[in-house]
Amino acid sequence: MVRLLLKFSVLPMLLTLTPVVAGEPPQLERHELMEGVRDAAKPIAKMSKGELEFDAAVVMASFQTWSEAAKVFGDMFPQGSETGYDTEARETIWSDREGFNAKLTSFDEAVDAAIAANPLDLEGLNAAAGPVFKACKACHEGYRVEDED
Amino acid sequence: MKSLLIWLFPLLAGSVLAFWFLTRPDLIRISELPDHIPDFANGERIFHAGGCASCHGVDLAGGLELKTAFGTFRVPNISPDLQEGIGAWSTLEFVNAMMRGVSPDGVHYYPAFPYASYTRMDLRDVIDLKARLDAFEPTDSRIGAHEIGFPWNLRRGIGLWKMRYLDPDLVTNGGSVDVLIKTGRYLVEGPGHCAECHTPRDRFGGLDRTRWMAGGPSPDGEGRVPNITPHPDGLAGWTEKDIAYFLESGFTPDFDLVGGTMVEVQENIAKLEASDRAAIAAYLKSIQALPDPHD
Repeated sequence: MVRLLLKFSVLPMLLTLTPVVAGEPPQLERHELMEGVRDAAKPIAKMSKGELEFDAAVVMASFQTWSEAAKVFGDMFPQGSETGYDTEARETIWSDREGFNAKLTSFDEAVDAAIAANPLDLEGLNAAAGPVFKACKACHEGYRVEDED
Repeated sequence: MKSLLIWLFPLLAGSVLAFWFLTRPDLIRISELPDHIPDFANGERIFHAGGCASCHGVDLAGGLELKTAFGTFRVPNISPDLQEGIGAWSTLEFVNAMMRGVSPDGVHYYPAFPYASYTRMDLRDVIDLKARLDAFEPTDSRIGAHEIGFPWNLRRGIGLWKMRYLDPDLVTNGGSVDVLIKTGRYLVEGPGHCAECHTPRDRFGGLDRTRWMAGGPSPDGEGRVPNITPHPDGLAGWTEKDIAYFLESGFTPDFDLVGGTMVEVQENIAKLEASDRAAIAAYLKSIQALPDPHD
């Protein structure tokens, strides 16, 4: 009976709990977060390219995605997650954490400024998003491993 | 013993003479300089195409350290300061530094300074570039000497390297007469010196032309410089517009943003006219498609 209970109640419960308790490896977690940031950049880049109609609501949704990401991204690089899962994190994140944090802060600030600017046309969007993209690149420059895929 | 010496001495002396002769700096002469009034705006274009500020600094004061397998190179001050910079150089001295890798006092530069690419430049562009550099503020920062191990610290030997690798001809003479491709070829193979990172090097530090633009190890040590030939391992999936847009904005076709040392390159190229970026894109789509190395 105990066995049965284990089999039919505890075990499935444990199985469903496992992902929540152990969590995803940080290498994958941060990768997915960055993919979300990238997906949020997509409509904005397309608007400034002229491939998509300007839409203030879509723009603000993207800004919010970036803002949320900026708040948690810095916690996703614990000791022990330097390698594995094809991570593109560069060792400089650990050897120069202050520099990395400064880049992240400047990203967060650029996003806050973009939200405050609340762009209502394409010109305003370009002015608001430009500094954000600049902050992205500045961090990719020194803290991401450039690989071909 | 005596007869051996009689043979050995001329052999040795002959070798030394041959080495000295073969490694002497090969210079552009004053008579070869065109009669040309410097075009400042074009000098600005060449300045950005070459990305001078990426290594020499936005004020051209130098000081960046390049750590390589051969040792540590220190990027020189090229501001117009008369003592510490290059303000005292004549046009001819500047041309020979850029296109022959030879200093005003006749010493070979290490090819960490990419003169093996600049040697393909149009003399007028080099003269225009000098006019642009001359307009900077002089900065008197003193840059220390390179720290290079034996035998690479014997600079005379660079003359041998130049015999093998310094070639003013364009690399891809595919015969295309398309004006856009020709402009792109010039920008990429000459001032842009793209191959210095995007083409792998052999064991003597020269570019492996059989692997032209097929990618190479990253100068940062981690990761790889991508293959930018029109192969599926490279830019086959990118249109010319994609390439030009990447150079303008930093966005790849799937909206990733540029990283690594390419960030500065992209931001420099973004300052060129759109027609120059279109030319670079057309050229890159015209070269031979090569796969990544199989490792």
